[in-house]
Amino acid sequence: MLMQIPEGTELNQIINLAFFVFIVLMSLYGQRIQMWQWLKQIEGGLAELKRMREESRSTSIETFERYGRPHEEVESDIDRWLDFFTIMPVDLDPAGVLQRLEHLLNERRDRFGEFIAELAPDAQEAERQNLENVLEVTQVLDLIYRIVRHFYILGKRTGSTLIIMQVHMQMPELLRIAKAYYDAQEAFADGKPIGDGVGPLVVTRLAHEYGATAESYVHDVAREVGYYEVKVEGRIVYALRATGPGGTVGKPGFAVKRIIEDNNGKIARIITVDAALKLEGEDLGRISEGIGAAIGDPGPEKHAIEETATQHNVPLEAIVVKQDEAAAIGVMDKKVVDVIPEVIERIKAAIRKRTEPGDRVILAGIGNTIGIGL
Amino acid sequence: MVYMMGIASKFVGLLLSGAGAVILTYGMSKEGDWMLYVVGLFVMSLGLSLLTARRQPTEIHPPPPTVTEIHCDNSECDFREIRDFQRGDYVLKKLPAKCPRCGRPLTIHAIYVTREQAPSTAAS
Ligand SMILES: [Zn+2]
Repeated sequence: MLMQIPEGTELNQIINLAFFVFIVLMSLYGQRIQMWQWLKQIEGGLAELKRMREESRSTSIETFERYGRPHEEVESDIDRWLDFFTIMPVDLDPAGVLQRLEHLLNERRDRFGEFIAELAPDAQEAERQNLENVLEVTQVLDLIYRIVRHFYILGKRTGSTLIIMQVHMQMPELLRIAKAYYDAQEAFADGKPIGDGVGPLVVTRLAHEYGATAESYVHDVAREVGYYEVKVEGRIVYALRATGPGGTVGKPGFAVKRIIEDNNGKIARIITVDAALKLEGEDLGRISEGIGAAIGDPGPEKHAIEETATQHNVPLEAIVVKQDEAAAIGVMDKKVVDVIPEVIERIKAAIRKRTEPGDRVILAGIGNTIGIGL
Repeated sequence: MVYMMGIASKFVGLLLSGAGAVILTYGMSKEGDWMLYVVGLFVMSLGLSLLTARRQPTEIHPPPPTVTEIHCDNSECDFREIRDFQRGDYVLKKLPAKCPRCGRPLTIHAIYVTREQAPSTAAS
């Protein structure tokens, strides 16, 4: 029927009008349509975040169930614990802020420990540490999900371009981080070594090479940290690491401080070994050297090392192994394992070149010791 | 498979946008034949959207298997074994089994995964 309408000016006018209306609509509501599109995309990301959160929560529950408490109790207790928070100390008055932070972090660890012991009564010490890590992953995923959901709902309700645009732009990065944590949970649940553990592993391999054993490890020089005392080419090396194979980073900063003080400051050099975040485009497992304390704690530990080293004029040296987030908190990558001999060689070279025979050296392997025995 | 489908949809897209452009030009040249005009536009936009559509994010891969590498304690002996990770394994764990070659104790040397190469690497 339509085809039979005689062609003429009327039809042309209608088409012209439709075209004009379309332009006006687009210029008036184009941004709305864009917002609607972005909201849809955020919704997709949010669904993915939610899936990861739910699955991670189930993994946590399943893992905790292995240690003696019934499903319902584990479930409700984990839900209660998911948004456990720590309020950072006020830094408006910076004097003593590190001591206050340290105080709060200790409290947090104690509460966490108490909770894990309650929820997994049959777990051994090392398993409890792993369980703590498992739960932390679920907490992180829960936090990311709740924050994104907050801004999604807020953006939808207020229609604010600013809010929607920000969430939309950060979504890929948030998803990447969430994915890294999500993938890492399996490592924590099964007690597999993670990429971050390269520091302790290097230190342990080096110590074993010079005759150290699990029996010669000196326990608890600071909380969950100890050392092997070995002789390397005439120097006494305190090879320091957190106590494994449970998942803990311990308090290596305070251990370094204590060893320096126990030796009355007569330490020739402090070498820290740690994993560091690589830049995109850099090779996974690249070894990099520098100056300073390679330790990624919230502050107190690093401060303890720097302060004591400065007081006693001990040079600080750092060797790091570059990794991305997924490799650092996921199961250790083959490429990282392969560079360990090279790291050990570099440490030996540093000791040989920059200390004298008879000197005392602290070699601190910083990182999570999950799955790495003594 | 997915890759092939990507190629095919690009090809169809190219074909459609070409056909659309031809219909559109023909419709414009014939005064008043607006139906051809509309059909041309439609076909061409369909083709272009197929052409510019990005591939769907790849499906979730199962994580690569974790392996346990076992070495003989005897430094002279080069016995090596790589097996799947078992719960309870940890690096430097002394195993109850003895080396089948020299009878000395075995220790877990490393536990790791081999991740596939990241798709994007910069020219270095
Ligand atoms: Zn052997």
